[in-house]
Amino acid sequence: MKKIILLVLLVVFAFSGCEKDDICDANTATTPRLVLSFYDISNSTVLKNVTRLKVVGEGMTEGVIFNASASGESKYLTSGNTISIPLKTDEDTTTYSFTFNSGNANPDLIFVDNVTINYTRNTIYVSRACGYKTIFTLNPTNAIVHTAEPVSSETWIQYISVEKTNIENENETHLKIFF
Amino acid sequence: MKHILKYSFSFCLLLSLFLAQAQETTSTKPNPKTTQIEEILPEPPKKVTKKLPEEKVLDSIAPKTNRYGLRVGVDLYKLTRGLYDSNYKGIELVGDYRLTKKYYLAAEIGNENKTTDDDRLNSTAKGTYIKAGFDYNAYENWLDMENIISIGMRYGASTFSQELNSYKIYNANPYWDEVPSITTGEKYNGLSASWIEVVTGVKAKVFNNVFVGFSLQLKMLITNKQPDNFENLYIPGFNRTYNGDFGVGFNYTVSYFIPIYKKKAVAEKKK
Repeated sequence: MKKIILLVLLVVFAFSGCEKDDICDANTATTPRLVLSFYDISNSTVLKNVTRLKVVGEGMTEGVIFNASASGESKYLTSGNTISIPLKTDEDTTTYSFTFNSGNANPDLIFVDNVTINYTRNTIYVSRACGYKTIFTLNPTNAIVHTAEPVSSETWIQYISVEKTNIENENETHLKIFF
Repeated sequence: MKHILKYSFSFCLLLSLFLAQAQETTSTKPNPKTTQIEEILPEPPKKVTKKLPEEKVLDSIAPKTNRYGLRVGVDLYKLTRGLYDSNYKGIELVGDYRLTKKYYLAAEIGNENKTTDDDRLNSTAKGTYIKAGFDYNAYENWLDMENIISIGMRYGASTFSQELNSYKIYNANPYWDEVPSITTGEKYNGLSASWIEVVTGVKAKVFNNVFVGFSLQLKMLITNKQPDNFENLYIPGFNRTYNGDFGVGFNYTVSYFIPIYKKKAVAEKKK
């Protein structure tokens, strides 16, 4: 009798111990980032690598990290043809500055463009461990506002094409940037 | 690990063997006593006549009677949890009715109000549930003992509501400042769930008709009406939900037995 009581208590405590071990799995699809691909303006089907591109959010001092393993400034620089940038989940608009040739010794070769993305948000339930995620729908009319910095100068980005208005995952390109 | 498990199992087996032996010795003990008495017989002949009727009385007690009736009680675990856990309020009434020597009809009815605080979600589930089924008493009682070691099954059903108090948005790339938890208070009404459970339990008679017992339940969801854009994180009666349909439960009851009629159980015992 006593042994059975002990056994049952043991089982109860064994189960009570696994209440809080929920961790959101990194492979779970949660809030997606905006995926941008860079294309050649003169040959619109060919991907083109950028040169030392730095992307900084409005009001932020540090850039979006593209190369986590690098140290110092090069952490924020990319010379690839595809980047992913996070959108604000508490506002319907996000602005980034795109700096081409960042850190170049010759200031005449550094070009800065500001890109504002306008969208609406939807909150979707994921799981107990992950909570909710936000998915975005780009506005049909003024999804992208693109200016040079300073405004009087010419933009280095020639054209931005919206490929997907529903931003639900990171497996596809949402915006194509031609330069 | 495997070896330890193996040894502990065999040790338990050994212990259970001793238990069985202990039972045998007690049942065989009365026999030597009676033979001793017979040996003493020739010397004091007068006393023998007096002792014989006493032995007959002992024999007549052996064909014991089983009491049948209704047992009602309350789950102390749920009742007292409200005292130390501010996120929980609940009550469960339990009852069983003895159908045959071994089988009991059993039911539980309860109400719970539980706030679940996860890392990213805080929600409150409120609702009522009922469970009904049977218990099989696997314990062979001696004399007039009425203890129960049971295994049984239940079908449970619950209607409840869930309120999402606050939530966080998961962002794997926290470039922008982390958004603080968002308070909503969104309420999802008209939720329901049903499940089956396997119950193992112990009930011991502590005095007169008062029983103390506890049980462990393993549950499996059959139906689960989930809210839109949320999930049933806690179902009253079923408890916390896991990724699958699996659940567990525990109760600690004090109950009172109301005897209704008695029945002799001679034939069954001799088998």
